Amino acid sequence: MIGQVLVNGILLGGIYALVSLGLTLIFGVMRIINFAHGQFLMLAMYATYWLFQLYGMDPYVSILIVVPLMLVIGMGAYRMIIQPIIDASEMTHVFATLGLNLSLQGIALFLWQGDFRGIRTSYSSLVIHLGPLYINIPRLIIFLCAIAAILALFLFLKKTYTGKAIRASAQKRVAAQLMGVNLSKIYMIAFGIGIAIVGLTGAVLMPIYEVFPSVGSLFALVAFVVVVLGGLGNLGGALVGGIVIGVVESVSGVFIAPALKEGVYFIIFVIILLLRPTGIFGKAVIR
Amino acid sequence: MRENRSMAIRYILEEIRHPKAYLTLIAVGVLYIVVLSVKNPYWGDILTMTFLLGALSLSWNILGGYGGQFTLGHAGFFGIGAYTSTLLLIHYQISPWIGMLLGGGLAALIGGLIFYPCFRLKGIFFCLATLAFQEVVKIAAVHFRGLTGGAMGISIPFKAGLANMMFQGKTGYMLIALSFMIIIALVTLVMARSRFGYKLVALREDEDATETLGISTSRCKLLAAMISAFFAGCLGTFYAHYSTLVDPYSIFDMMLSVEFVIFAILGGVGTVLGPILGAFALVPIDALMRGYLGQGQQGVSFFAYGMLLTGVVIFLPQGILSWISSPLNRLMEALSGEKTRPEPRAGKIEPQAERAEKPSRSMQPTSILEIAGLDKSFGGLKVIQCLDFHVREGEIVGLIGPNGAGKTTCFNLITGFEEADAGRILFKGEDITGLKPPNRISKKGVARTFQIVKPLAGLTVTENILAGAAERAGSIHEARMKSRNIVDLLGLWEFRDIKASSLTLGGRKRLELAKALATEPTLLLLDEVMAGLNPTEVEQAIQLIKKISNRGITLLVIEHVMKAVMSLADRVVVIHHGQKICEGRPQDVIRDPGVIEAYLGKGYQYAEG
Amino acid sequence: MLKVEAIDVYYGDLQAVQGASFQVGKDQIVSLVGSNGAGKTTTLNAISGLHRPRSGTIRFGEINIERRGSHQIVELGIIQVPEGRMLFPEMTVMENLEMGCYSLRARKNFKNSLQEVIRLFPILAERKEQLAGTLSGGEQQMLAIGRGLMAQPKVLMLDEPSLGLAPLVVEEIIETIKTIRTRGTAILLVEQNVFHALSISDRAYILENGEIVMEGKGEELLKNEKVRKAYLGL
Repeated sequence: MIGQVLVNGILLGGIYALVSLGLTLIFGVMRIINFAHGQFLMLAMYATYWLFQLYGMDPYVSILIVVPLMLVIGMGAYRMIIQPIIDASEMTHVFATLGLNLSLQGIALFLWQGDFRGIRTSYSSLVIHLGPLYINIPRLIIFLCAIAAILALFLFLKKTYTGKAIRASAQKRVAAQLMGVNLSKIYMIAFGIGIAIVGLTGAVLMPIYEVFPSVGSLFALVAFVVVVLGGLGNLGGALVGGIVIGVVESVSGVFIAPALKEGVYFIIFVIILLLRPTGIFGKAVIR
Repeated sequence: MRENRSMAIRYILEEIRHPKAYLTLIAVGVLYIVVLSVKNPYWGDILTMTFLLGALSLSWNILGGYGGQFTLGHAGFFGIGAYTSTLLLIHYQISPWIGMLLGGGLAALIGGLIFYPCFRLKGIFFCLATLAFQEVVKIAAVHFRGLTGGAMGISIPFKAGLANMMFQGKTGYMLIALSFMIIIALVTLVMARSRFGYKLVALREDEDATETLGISTSRCKLLAAMISAFFAGCLGTFYAHYSTLVDPYSIFDMMLSVEFVIFAILGGVGTVLGPILGAFALVPIDALMRGYLGQGQQGVSFFAYGMLLTGVVIFLPQGILSWISSPLNRLMEALSGEKTRPEPRAGKIEPQAERAEKPSRSMQPTSILEIAGLDKSFGGLKVIQCLDFHVREGEIVGLIGPNGAGKTTCFNLITGFEEADAGRILFKGEDITGLKPPNRISKKGVARTFQIVKPLAGLTVTENILAGAAERAGSIHEARMKSRNIVDLLGLWEFRDIKASSLTLGGRKRLELAKALATEPTLLLLDEVMAGLNPTEVEQAIQLIKKISNRGITLLVIEHVMKAVMSLADRVVVIHHGQKICEGRPQDVIRDPGVIEAYLGKGYQYAEG
Repeated sequence: MLKVEAIDVYYGDLQAVQGASFQVGKDQIVSLVGSNGAGKTTTLNAISGLHRPRSGTIRFGEINIERRGSHQIVELGIIQVPEGRMLFPEMTVMENLEMGCYSLRARKNFKNSLQEVIRLFPILAERKEQLAGTLSGGEQQMLAIGRGLMAQPKVLMLDEPSLGLAPLVVEEIIETIKTIRTRGTAILLVEQNVFHALSISDRAYILENGEIVMEGKGEELLKNEKVRKAYLGL
């Protein structure tokens, strides 16, 4: 019994890790504040949904469309909303992106109403058995995607010039400019990549989750919790943080009370913020 | 004392004669008349909600707008108040009017307990923490069904009567909501003009600079948070009795918290009228749209609010009020036939008796500042090592040394912005090493200026100086008088109503000095005040500093402009690589070979031949 | 090669640099000296494209560059080693050097540039995989200069390379700068340490309150009483 709870928690953690990966890049590395993070997830999920409904496209196949689409949308949103105010105060960023958040939700509400929409694929409830435990396939796939995405992002940041430029700009902006880095271009690319990862997340979430206009909000809050917990900008921390939150949620859902499970990790969030704002792994580092 | 009180009364009477005051009274009167004449329940509802949300936004504005601490969990207090008074009514038959105060009190208490530790969090993290707070309260309300009725909430049986805060028709509700809004607006107004108000907006502009003025920023924020939460809690009770249902999803709604913020930002954050304007602009339109659009309304509403928020934040950050304030001011001037801002009656200003020369030193001049064995490293780099020097009462001591020698770090250690690794700092014989936060040291009589000046940008020159005087003054009028003295002393009279952000560098440096002087310090630390000034301004600054010294204030001055050091300093301490390498009269120090080497490089004196 | 003509640079309403004119030729070391706050770093930042001058021109060869973006200036080969080094603290020595080679022009010559830098500063090879933040002051300065050299500079601008360094290390750095000149790079040196700057400069300019108040050959200015006065207010 406890084993299954843990397995569920870990798999849930994979979901949270993937949702948070983009945020840890955007907020953790680039220190760009984006209160609309969840709404991009919502858009990606709707995109996947409609590709399925209208063209019968399997969500895993639609990754090929959704990810580049979200990359472009992300870069566009950066250019139009964030770049003009890049040097303004933090609070300006918070409220400007909060406004974007509301606007996107508003569009979704208007176009598609508040109904919950889901897709059912042949493998949505597919399960494999590992001894007494059972593992849901789509969730396992998400978990593996999370690991793959982290590895890919890590290699990108470590090995490519663009990736190094992103890290350099995050560490010392002026020095990066003196190396010839075009800051606004790099920020835009980093933001776009973060949102593209969110696109991947949306696509692989559709087999098991339903989409509705405010689905992004809760995921986004969890993402912030995970990012702080795992250390800002720490890729591995996003995975560990995600798993911790997933397990905590799963365990408290069973052993404390289902209605309280979100409350538990919010309380953990505030405690972490107060006691150890740099997260589990101390100083946030991308190695 | 009696003088102060009569001055206060005269001040108020004068203010009332002013167009701003009587126009406001007229507007309030009109609102009440409108309320009493509206019979249509549809409009009654819209007006009630407008007043209620306006009042809630006003209460948010106290901490958010004036204090600059933007919270996104204000509805949490709204709900706490609602649940508290409702439960007290249902289980203990306590009158809602009393329950309201108790609910407000509980909200204030919880607000204080939870927000106080959160204030250390910067910007977005503070926002997130307040969001998390509201979510937790909501989840708790849903979960503890026995107490709160869970997701379905609690309903209050309808019983008309003032004692029960319930009425037939909407008029009673409208009156109460409007009155609440007026009361909170008044409280905000009074607060804004009080010493506390000036301290609050000061810390909003620059926390470090405010700490330097001896103001405990954490205590101010705490008080603002509690006042803000109290009012939100009280309004919660009203809402409970208006809607007769208290349920977690309606009352702890994230969108509601965001709305309070939007109204304030749209109307003008940090003003009394702003949240009111914002609510009046948006709530009725939103309600009307619901009528026309039906189904799609929520989407359009979200979208519109979202675009407004982003748009205002980017294009009109000071809100609608900034748009209309100049035409409004001109209207006032036209009506009253005099300048919009009445100058506070000067009263009797006793110019400080200035001594023509420095008083002769007493036999045993007291030690004001003593630094012994100070060490400070950043990472692996030792910035200050084994630093010793002292400053005696009435002296002007110059602290010089090449770039990177550790001088500003030294100031930061003395004023509590950094903590020393080893060594002692004594102020007037008292050990202040490691004393935190900085306001505790400032309160003892140590003032400083910053190398990169930190004006309270959004405030006028007068308000800047008032913030400095606020801590020590016994009343707002004493503070105003002292500020007036300082304004005169530093030649800032013509700039008194100009926003600090519009001053030239020279003006800002003078303002920095003025703020520091307003705290009536014993020891004044000046960090490169001459940097960036032209020769005339340097000369003016030198005269000013001499005047300050003649008032008995001890000065420790970091300077690179040698001319200033030569004419001002009684004694000079030279620091290089974080250590004292020389000390003595200015003319001796600059001939010292070690000093020459430190500044110009080793071979220099030999190159002279 | 690099010609600055009468530039005025403002920070908001504060004029940091007024009417500054000077030039740096190939194989030359030119110094800008002045006390703290004189406007030296502001001038370098204007050349690097970090801060646009309000008026005046900056010419590199035949091209006007005062309105170009910072990344374009780097592509042209005008490289700044900033005050305080500004290394990327959480990147290794090697990664810092790689970042130095970021510009497209420099990337093609990565291997050669690296070899040259290692030859100049052999200690960097030893510390290849160490985090830049953990190096000693002198090593950090060497890395900063090395990073600048990776960009294959035609003009190398150094902002206070001696800041916070022990005298012996400063001597080493000065020697290195002389060596760099022999490779054909034009060098613009900004220094507070007047003696060192003047003794290796072909030409020097004294900045005071944003204006150039004196100029001349390095060794001549060394003997000039006025320079000493400007610094120590005698």
